[in-house]
Amino acid sequence: MTGLGWGIRSLGRHPLRTGLSLAGIAVAAAMLLDMVMLSGGIDKSFGDLLLQRGYQIRITPKGTLPFDTEASLPGARRLVRTLRADPEVATAGAILGSAVYARTPDSLVTLFGYGVQPESQGIYRVMAGADLAPADTTGLLLSAAAAAVLGGARVGDTVMLAGRLDPQIAAAAEDRSLVVRGMVEWLYDYRGQPSVGAVLPVMQRLARQATGDPASLVLVRARADSMVEPLVARLRADYPTLEVNSVVELVAQAKRRLSYFTQLAHVLGAMSLVVTVLLIGTLLTITVNERLGEIATLRAIGIGKATVVSQVLAEGVALTVIGSALGVLLGLATARYLDAILTSFPGLPAAFSFFVPRADTLTQAAVVLLVTGSLAGLYPAWLAARAPIAATLRAEAT
Amino acid sequence: MRALLCAVLLCAFVSRPGRAQVVDLALERGTAGRLGLSVGDTVRLGTAPDSMLRLGVVRAIYQPRPDPAEIARRALQARFHLPDLAELLGAPDRVDRFGLALVAGVSPDSAAAELNRSAFGFRAYPSAQIASESSQTFQVVSRFHRAIAMITIVASAVFLLCIMLLKVEERRLDAAVMRFVGVRRRTIFYALLLEAAVLAVAGSLLGIVIALAAGAITNAYYQRFFDTQLVFSVITPRIVALGVGLSLVLGLAAGAIAAARLVRTRPMVLWGRA
Amino acid sequence: MARRARTHSRHLAGGGHLSAPSHPGAVLVARDLRKDYPVGGETVHALRGVSLSVGRGEHVAIVGPSGSGKSTLLQLLGGIDTPSAGSVEVLGTRLERLSDRDLTRLRLLRLGFVFQRFHLLPVLTARENVELPMAEAGVKSAERRARALELLEYVGLSGRAGHRATQLSGGEMQRVAIARALANQPAVLLADEPTGELDAATGQEILELFRRLNRDGATLVVVTHDERLAREAGRTVTMFDGRIADR
Repeated sequence: MTGLGWGIRSLGRHPLRTGLSLAGIAVAAAMLLDMVMLSGGIDKSFGDLLLQRGYQIRITPKGTLPFDTEASLPGARRLVRTLRADPEVATAGAILGSAVYARTPDSLVTLFGYGVQPESQGIYRVMAGADLAPADTTGLLLSAAAAAVLGGARVGDTVMLAGRLDPQIAAAAEDRSLVVRGMVEWLYDYRGQPSVGAVLPVMQRLARQATGDPASLVLVRARADSMVEPLVARLRADYPTLEVNSVVELVAQAKRRLSYFTQLAHVLGAMSLVVTVLLIGTLLTITVNERLGEIATLRAIGIGKATVVSQVLAEGVALTVIGSALGVLLGLATARYLDAILTSFPGLPAAFSFFVPRADTLTQAAVVLLVTGSLAGLYPAWLAARAPIAATLRAEAT
Repeated sequence: MRALLCAVLLCAFVSRPGRAQVVDLALERGTAGRLGLSVGDTVRLGTAPDSMLRLGVVRAIYQPRPDPAEIARRALQARFHLPDLAELLGAPDRVDRFGLALVAGVSPDSAAAELNRSAFGFRAYPSAQIASESSQTFQVVSRFHRAIAMITIVASAVFLLCIMLLKVEERRLDAAVMRFVGVRRRTIFYALLLEAAVLAVAGSLLGIVIALAAGAITNAYYQRFFDTQLVFSVITPRIVALGVGLSLVLGLAAGAIAAARLVRTRPMVLWGRA
Repeated sequence: MARRARTHSRHLAGGGHLSAPSHPGAVLVARDLRKDYPVGGETVHALRGVSLSVGRGEHVAIVGPSGSGKSTLLQLLGGIDTPSAGSVEVLGTRLERLSDRDLTRLRLLRLGFVFQRFHLLPVLTARENVELPMAEAGVKSAERRARALELLEYVGLSGRAGHRATQLSGGEMQRVAIARALANQPAVLLADEPTGELDAATGQEILELFRRLNRDGATLVVVTHDERLAREAGRTVTMFDGRIADR
């Protein structure tokens, strides 16, 4: 009969009390688990999202973040050629984002248009059909949402896009007839975003003036991860009128914007630990007080303080371990529920997740919970150890 | 216009005034603070870092209405006369939106529908719809808070039940003695129930004091952190009533369950002699 | 009977001498014991100078009215409590010279206790309750399991070894408590009102068990109100108002 075994069996004395305590610990553990996932989830999810296609650097107009504003940087293709010639750069690609319009039999529908350089793009994945060729000025890529908005457009269909609308004369300065080459998943789209893509020059004409060769951002992939930070520093020096950010810096900025959730996670996580300590501490204190006679007898027959203390601590550990195991299951379920709420933020990429389980942080949380639950038993264990044997036996006899 | 404006770079360096006209601008308070500018300062304006050709003079510093959707962005903001900004951006006849005030009696929904029937390249929305859609971010945060609150209430309920059970069971010897001397079960039950109610109310009042303190700390901290006048935590009478009411109901329920178990147990068993 | 006595005498009086006793043959010696403790702001003089010695193999009953100091005396003899004045010697060892840890160890290995309210651990089986002191003493698992079953057979509960304490009757629980007290082959068995919670018939069973123990060589000191149990003893010590009324 080990101390832990004895501790676990002691939990069976009062099933209802133990059951409620385990339920309370499980909820607290679930909350802690969720908050740990939340505190580490934002940067993990965002970082993974940005690095999906391996582009570690983003170049945008000065003072902006990717697609944060309508600002654009000029001379995009020349910039890309220069970057591609850099020995530390594996590849680079420019992207233009803008509103475009599709003509349907009834009306004009608003879409989001991406102008891309297909040979080095990092914002979509082809799901059906084919990708655009680099010089394909008549090809179009659709998201599933865009296809739905366009009445169920499929690969091979022709779509009429219009751009630069003039409300006064009710006409478009630019009209294009494009053939759907492929169905794609746009990696940074929010849920249900109707997006289309064409080669950069086509989208430039549809969205803006063709002069100036504008782009919303340029993606850069360094030859090795170790080259990223030095390359960022060099690009900043070479292009002081542009905003150059590594993925690490972008993640840090995103985390700053979402700092409220990180702080909330820390506060609620701490509260969960406090609740766990209070629950276990209260339960064991009352239990020890009820069993003082038993404890005094054990001490009288020669059971040492250390054994008595370890039995009380073992009860606390047993409660924590079992409650935490239940809490993991509950926490994973509530994380999905909470994530579904937060990921409904308008404009948030569909692939983004707030609650991300990471082995290292979950292990840390488990250790913290276990230590906390164990420490919660210290006061009642101390009570048990210092119980005066004779006085207690006298009180029991009356 | 506002979106583009965020990309306008403001330079605090005063240069020789060019021949171009000097424009007036008003700076948002936080922007002025971060750039170290005050009323009367001259700035250079442009749409690209290498074309800062226009001069502007800060005529006013304003405090915008707090917007929950914007506080985390910390965007630099300024206001111009519309013609000045349009000219600066090289789009003299372009705006992002119009605001329409309708004559009395005209429904915004019908007016918007009428406009949209003949619209080309724009859409009309009632202001209420815009407000609703632009507050979606805040609604998501509210839903998240409500979900956390529900989880917390469940945890608190379990905790309360457990503590009440323990507290009532601690009184087992007292209950046994009362039964020995002839006190009725019902009397003991109601005595324990009253004790549970007092505990629940006292606990919830203490909780309200803690919540008020925590709310004050939260507001002070985030107002400083985000440099805003937004109120983040509000304890309303409705919330107080909900907290006290829920605590009372749960406390009474827990106390009733525990008391019922206790009075159903034989006195000798409570005494520990059977 | 002889085989049984031989078998079970292994349970008893196995402790060695720690030092030469001042009363040769005495396992317990109390000298001028006094015990005062506060109750509600007043001081209760529970013992007012009690001296006593118990020889090996003796069966001593301590009797007296309630509040006469019987249980207090037993607690001092067993090292559960410390006297306000005087001394106790167990197998030649002066208890006041021992640390709490050593005192605990002495109680574990040299003394056996039986209480009025049994105080078995309800979550453990009868066998596990008996094993508990042996586990604390570091006896290996197989050995203590065998010994526990042997002790349970001695007290007539071999068929109840696997039952939880809560599943036993009062008399059975007290017998398990007695078996637990014998686990580490103590030199002396101290019992405080062992039949106090039991009916007459069950009390008789305990009485017979004590008789057998003493016949097998156990040294017993029993505090009791039970006249039958007192009559079984070879010597009766009557307490009154904190003093020994007669020897």
